[in-house]
Amino acid sequence: MVSKALNKKFDRIKAREEYGIEPKRVRSRALRKLLSNRLAVVGLIIFSIITLASIFAPLLTQWDPGKINLRAMLQPPSAEHWFGTDKTGRDVFARVLYGGRVSILVGLGSALLSAIVGVSIGLYAGYRGGWFDTVTLRISELFMAFPQIILVLMLVSIVGQSLFNLIIIFVVSGWGAMYRLARARMLSLREEEYVQALQSFGLSTARICYKHVLPNTLGPIMVNITLTTAMFILAEAGLSFLGLGVPLSIPTWGNILNVAQDIRVLQNNWWMWLPVGAIISLFVLSVNFIGDGLRDSADPNLQG
Amino acid sequence: MLTYIIRRILILIPMLFGISFLVYLGLEFTPGDAVSHMIPPDLANQVSAEKLEAIRESLGLNKSFLHRYWSWLSHAVRGDFGHSISGGVSISKIVLDRLPATLELSAAALIISTILGIMLGTYSALHKGTYTDSGLTAVGMLGVSIPEFFFGLVAILIFALKLGWLPVGGRLMPGMESWIDHLPNIILPALVLSLMMTAGVMRYSRSSMLDALNKEFVKTARAKGMPEWRVNFLHGFRVALTPVVVIIGFRLPTLIGGSVIIEEVFQWPGVGAEFIQAVRGQDYPLVMMIALFSVFAMLMASLIVDVLTAWIDPRVRLGEE
Amino acid sequence: MPSDTALTVRNLKTYFYNNNRCNKAVNGVSFSIRRGKTLCIVGESGCGKSVTASSIMQLLPELSRIEEGNIVYHAKTGDVHIERLERNSDEMRSLRGAEIAMIFQDPMTALNPAYTIGFQIGETLKYHTAMSASEIRTRSLELLRDMGISLPEQRIDEYPHQYSGGMRQRAMIAMAMACNPKILIADEPTTALDVTIQAQIFELMDNLKVEYKTAIMLITHDMGVVAELADEVAVMYMGNIVESGTVDDVLRRPQHPYTQALLDSIPVLGRGKQQKIKAISGSTPDAYDRPVGCQFAPRCEKATIACNEMPLDTSITTSHTVRCWHPRDGAP
Ligand SMILES: Nc1ncnc2c1ncn2[C@@H]1O[C@H](COP(=O)(O)OP(=O)(O)OP(=O)(O)O)[C@@H](O)[C@H]1O
Ligand SMILES: [Mg+2]
Repeated sequence: MVSKALNKKFDRIKAREEYGIEPKRVRSRALRKLLSNRLAVVGLIIFSIITLASIFAPLLTQWDPGKINLRAMLQPPSAEHWFGTDKTGRDVFARVLYGGRVSILVGLGSALLSAIVGVSIGLYAGYRGGWFDTVTLRISELFMAFPQIILVLMLVSIVGQSLFNLIIIFVVSGWGAMYRLARARMLSLREEEYVQALQSFGLSTARICYKHVLPNTLGPIMVNITLTTAMFILAEAGLSFLGLGVPLSIPTWGNILNVAQDIRVLQNNWWMWLPVGAIISLFVLSVNFIGDGLRDSADPNLQG
Repeated sequence: MLTYIIRRILILIPMLFGISFLVYLGLEFTPGDAVSHMIPPDLANQVSAEKLEAIRESLGLNKSFLHRYWSWLSHAVRGDFGHSISGGVSISKIVLDRLPATLELSAAALIISTILGIMLGTYSALHKGTYTDSGLTAVGMLGVSIPEFFFGLVAILIFALKLGWLPVGGRLMPGMESWIDHLPNIILPALVLSLMMTAGVMRYSRSSMLDALNKEFVKTARAKGMPEWRVNFLHGFRVALTPVVVIIGFRLPTLIGGSVIIEEVFQWPGVGAEFIQAVRGQDYPLVMMIALFSVFAMLMASLIVDVLTAWIDPRVRLGEE
Repeated sequence: MPSDTALTVRNLKTYFYNNNRCNKAVNGVSFSIRRGKTLCIVGESGCGKSVTASSIMQLLPELSRIEEGNIVYHAKTGDVHIERLERNSDEMRSLRGAEIAMIFQDPMTALNPAYTIGFQIGETLKYHTAMSASEIRTRSLELLRDMGISLPEQRIDEYPHQYSGGMRQRAMIAMAMACNPKILIADEPTTALDVTIQAQIFELMDNLKVEYKTAIMLITHDMGVVAELADEVAVMYMGNIVESGTVDDVLRRPQHPYTQALLDSIPVLGRGKQQKIKAISGSTPDAYDRPVGCQFAPRCEKATIACNEMPLDTSITTSHTVRCWHPRDGAP
């Protein structure tokens, strides 16, 4: 005996099969899984909207994000200034759009760079083994022993604040996880027959690693890139909020939120921090949805 | 079991060497050297240049890099971590002063997120496919997507500024004696800090529980005619718990990292807030030492988690790997 | 209904609904199990043997349903229609473990690694009997000893990972036999074990049958085991029982082309290297795209147009039934 809801569902499936109606199919199985995951699709849509809006910021707003306008200070949202203006009369909506450019660049860029660095070292180390493997493994362990924020702040204090430095620092703090992932995949794939066959054909190490094994590890790596992007965007926001991330002269989502450290702004000028915080959350949420969808579609064990 | 713990501790030692070396390397890259970090600044003015040089000589600071590292390390091992640049206070005193506040906050957040996360995750798994389950999953996703400090700001705005139920921040107001007195102060920061971790633990508990419920031995338990609660909790939950404990250990960095920003948002006088002050003030020795402490704390935490899992899992407890 | 029948299954249909598709895993199966007898169910992988067993125990996964048919347990107090019981209802649970017990294929995964063997045996007793803790322990020790585990006093407090595979399966049987069930369902109980251990386990089961008059339903791939242990045999193919009867009926006078092919495909000891071993031609159809009529028709040499319709169960003798339009000994 089954629950009523399931009973109904079963009856529907059975009836459909009896009339020979086939559900429509998308070609690639992974893509089909991704598209059938409603949340992943929602995530993709939100992600695209926010990213495109940032890229095409000049088309969407007439305001210059850096232009100080002392006659329009601290205005609440209006038809003219959608998200109001800040203490120096800059349009917050424009700042959020232009800030998105930098924040997304930092998040996505650092995640991609981390992946490139981590995966290329990881695949090679996993394949070669020996001293190279041991040394890189130990180094990655050292970096991963630090709580991420603390490592990042420590490096910031050493090399100083700049957009470029921040990306490099993120890569330094983030390559370890990618390295581990790629290395582990390599270690298990190395034992598989097709890799051994490639070896016996006398293919070069680099070719085997990056031409043949890499495509087979792409699924988990993609998932990891999305999750790392989410993490870096949150990290940038946090650092800039503290005034220790991207220099305050460049608008980023975190830098816009920086004003909320002032309790008067927090209490009286909600439009200066609440919308941008919501946008960060929404963006990270969308990235997480995509990551989750990718994870499910890449994992053959999770059918159903 | 004991040999397991000892072996586990021995593994940590080279790790600590590596980390301390990395941190010392960082120190070397920053302005100033170990002498200026070791002598309280107010004393430093009274010491002549020759004398400084003599101290450098006697400490071997003019010797090779490895030599300097070694002498720095041997001081650190004996509990002498040098002095902060700005205040001239010894670093160990600063950290020890601030540590109770941080421990209090992290422990509160850890307890909240462990209990809440496991409960919600298990509930979700047992009600898989229902609206409650989807709702909890969505809330969990939101939990890992909202920047913690932003959540903290919203919480301050609502519960402290608008409703006035709880204080805006701080830990000990004048005249507060017992922990009961500052209970209202810890509620917001602890809840906010636990948010991300709760979401993570919930998500993980759910999948771990689902995993366990799919195991063959759960079917065996049903085949024996056990009631559902016993199948779910004695057989499913018990086995699902081990990986959850491990993941809580893995997630501790998020908690430690999160506490840095949350302490700043709620003006909680802990090590994290001090760390941010040190970064802002370019107080390098303090920055490095706190970083070193945080790594040490993490390694200790992972040690405890390992021992705990070993204790839960009879296979490890009884000396097999 | 003969009084020694323990369980009757009539026209059982169990379907799966994964991935929004309907898989008619068991599609009209009838048989009965008798006290003190062993019914062997054979058939190739995926033909629905385990699903049949799970249906009897109501241990089916969530996305599956018993569509129609009856599963009747003949208790002393009267017949119980298992298919009408709620999956995890009190009545169903009071049957499981106490009246009908089941052992699974892989003793490695079927025991909970977190609890001692003694705890897992005692659990059954605790829920189905009124024994005290010390009585439970005594009985558990006795069970372990009966199942041939040496030093039970010491072994009872050990964890599954400290047991060898054969010992785990013995412990599983001890667990299943704890409450002297009337029916024991064993789903390929020895597939994961080596040959000598297999023989010991089967000997154990045979003793149980004689000693306690337990009705045994044994699922297996091994025709040797069938010849050795079975009183009755049912051959399954793609969700149907295509042939059933006594061991002699089925092994010596196979009627269904599938049964014949199955018997031809196994080597017989002593016939030397020259014997003809024929693999069954063709491959098993897709579970989601089953043939319309006789399921075996696409692979059958004797198939005719008639086979596009599902044959009825036909009695050859009183004990021997076949579901085929063209059985070996003439048309039905
Ligand atoms: N848990 C399940 N979820 C979905 N489909 C299942 C499940 N279990 C079995 N099936 C399907 O039911 C059909 C019969 O499977 P069953 O496990 O009964 O085969 P079997 O005869 O026991 O095979 P084997 O000899 O390999 O154990 C198969 O088509 C299988 O795909
Ligand atoms: Mg089976």
